[in-house]
Amino acid sequence: MFSNLKSLCELNATSGDEKSVRDFIIEQIKDYCEIKTDNLGNLICFKKGKKTPQKKIMLDAHMDEIGFIIKSITPDGFLRFSNVGGIDTSVMIARRVLIENKVYGVVGFKPVHLAGAEERKKLPNAESLYIDIGASSKQEAESIVSLGDRAVICSEYCETDEKIISKALDDRIGCAILIDIIRNFDEYDFYAVFSTREEIGAGGAKTATFSINPDSAIVLESTTAADIADVPKEKQVCVLGNGVAVSFMDRMTVYDREYYEFALNSGIKCQPKSAVAGGNNSGVVHLSRGGVKTIALSVPCRYIHSANSVADKRDILSARQLAEFMLKGIAEGKV
Amino acid sequence: MKYIKDMLFCLSSAYGAINVRQARDIAFNEMKKYCECQKNDENMSFCGFLKGTSDYTLMLDAHIDEVSFVVTNVDDEGFVTVANAGGIDIKTLPAKMVLIHGKEKIKGVFVSTPPHISSGEIEYDDLSKIKIDTCLGARAKELILVGDTVTYSAEPKELSGNKVVGKSFDDRAGIAVLLELAKRLSGKELPINVVFSVVDGEELGMRGAIPATFKISPDEAIAVDVTFATAPDVTENDGGCLSKGAMIGISPVLDRDMTDKLNKTASDNGIPYQNEVMGRRTGTDSDVISVSGKGVRTGLISIPLRNMHTDCEIVDLTDIKSTCDIIEKYILSGGMLDVQ
Repeated sequence: MFSNLKSLCELNATSGDEKSVRDFIIEQIKDYCEIKTDNLGNLICFKKGKKTPQKKIMLDAHMDEIGFIIKSITPDGFLRFSNVGGIDTSVMIARRVLIENKVYGVVGFKPVHLAGAEERKKLPNAESLYIDIGASSKQEAESIVSLGDRAVICSEYCETDEKIISKALDDRIGCAILIDIIRNFDEYDFYAVFSTREEIGAGGAKTATFSINPDSAIVLESTTAADIADVPKEKQVCVLGNGVAVSFMDRMTVYDREYYEFALNSGIKCQPKSAVAGGNNSGVVHLSRGGVKTIALSVPCRYIHSANSVADKRDILSARQLAEFMLKGIAEGKV
Repeated sequence: MKYIKDMLFCLSSAYGAINVRQARDIAFNEMKKYCECQKNDENMSFCGFLKGTSDYTLMLDAHIDEVSFVVTNVDDEGFVTVANAGGIDIKTLPAKMVLIHGKEKIKGVFVSTPPHISSGEIEYDDLSKIKIDTCLGARAKELILVGDTVTYSAEPKELSGNKVVGKSFDDRAGIAVLLELAKRLSGKELPINVVFSVVDGEELGMRGAIPATFKISPDEAIAVDVTFATAPDVTENDGGCLSKGAMIGISPVLDRDMTDKLNKTASDNGIPYQNEVMGRRTGTDSDVISVSGKGVRTGLISIPLRNMHTDCEIVDLTDIKSTCDIIEKYILSGGMLDVQ
């Protein structure tokens, strides 16, 4: 699972441009389940198990990651861009980016020595930022990039005994877990969705859920962990190493209470996501058609939506274990 | 230009900061191929000597150190507090990966506070507020000592044209100039002695160039450093243009006749150059070189560079080459030997 996670994180796939991740996943699962790609690029998979459960169960993980899209080129050959997904300015300025896997650039901004005392302490306006690919003119830049090209912030995948540091852990962790479940779980039938466009409003999961029409859904995600220096305990949301985070409510979803309690009482190491913040595919999944009972299992991630997110391998394993526990529990009618 | 690029990339990937001598040792071993060299371990500098036909000596200076950080505290959860060693723009640090030079080389990430924690606009004015997450927990204290050095960690890459991006081009670009010149001039008959002075401590107030210049006691000197290149928020009043050539400095602390001769050398030989005019000190080693001992006639040539003091510095290799070209011609013409 962890070698897949590395390969997945090293692929670049901003929202709406998930092909590289989709192709990789297809290679990993094509011998284990039926697969189809829908109109929005979602991978919709059906894994036949030994038994067919009463309820139709869907697992979801999203393939896309945050990044940038090139909007225009200045006369001097600098690229103006827009975020794809939410990215804090502080984690993008003075970073290298890779555009369409072919050209490197740097997110430039006003240098500190030219800023006034007050301006110096503050982040520049997102609109004033640009990507510098070293082109000296618009013409030179146009020969290398096209409008609409995608960029990601460069990152180096690092693994220690316990932790993983990388870009795109949100949500390649979910993808790696879901691949592993497809390859190894065969007790009950289930559907798996590798969805697109989560970071720009969960469009992929919306249509995929409509197509599958499930009774229950398990959303595999990662979520922000603020267990960092100087943040008080009550604001930490979740803590690395304490197991996968189980949501009761976020800004898009009020989660199914039964599923929430069933997960917390599973005996598998997990923690409540102790903040009502953020959102994920559950927001559209639980409102699909006549409503879907939904649980979100999120691996705690420090510095999420940056080039160097940090996750704990033990939490990833706990997410894998709890996902299977929920799948089995729902299939067996225990919850 | 291949040699310049190879050297720049090799030096950029290496580390050179307080008590970290990797970059210095790489440059030393390279310089040794072309001239006699002498290491000075007291201040991490070294010199290379090329003998000329006169007893007049020109010193070329470039600094090997890079902006870095120094560990001031390691807590029980594995978060490290640092102080800056050189000018750093704090707001560029959140979620940036760095390398801690402890008992082992440890990758760490500057913390980035999620939006739900901060109320309103964050002020990036205190480096001690942005700690480094080592992902080591309590073990961090065993591996990291207060006083250890922390550097950026980033490999150089090619950009469009002859431009390249990397950390520490300030002033490994200058070191690449010195190595290229040693290679070009080695074995040639030179009218003057040339001393290549590779110094430490520029980012901490030009403290390496002070003793090095005193020991060498040259007749004249040229500092080779970097300067700001124009960009959307940097006008031509603030910097030079990338790709348009070396920037010959003009400043009250620099020798006017030398500056004139450097300009003339460039224009007579059709070498691309620009002028950088400063009304005061230059912020480079030339400030301290010029006032060393009884005083040294000093010039400054700077390579335009974007995103200074980040791990995304951008330079154009052709600007490094034109810097070499000007200095080579200048040395071969005897420098200021005959100009009183």
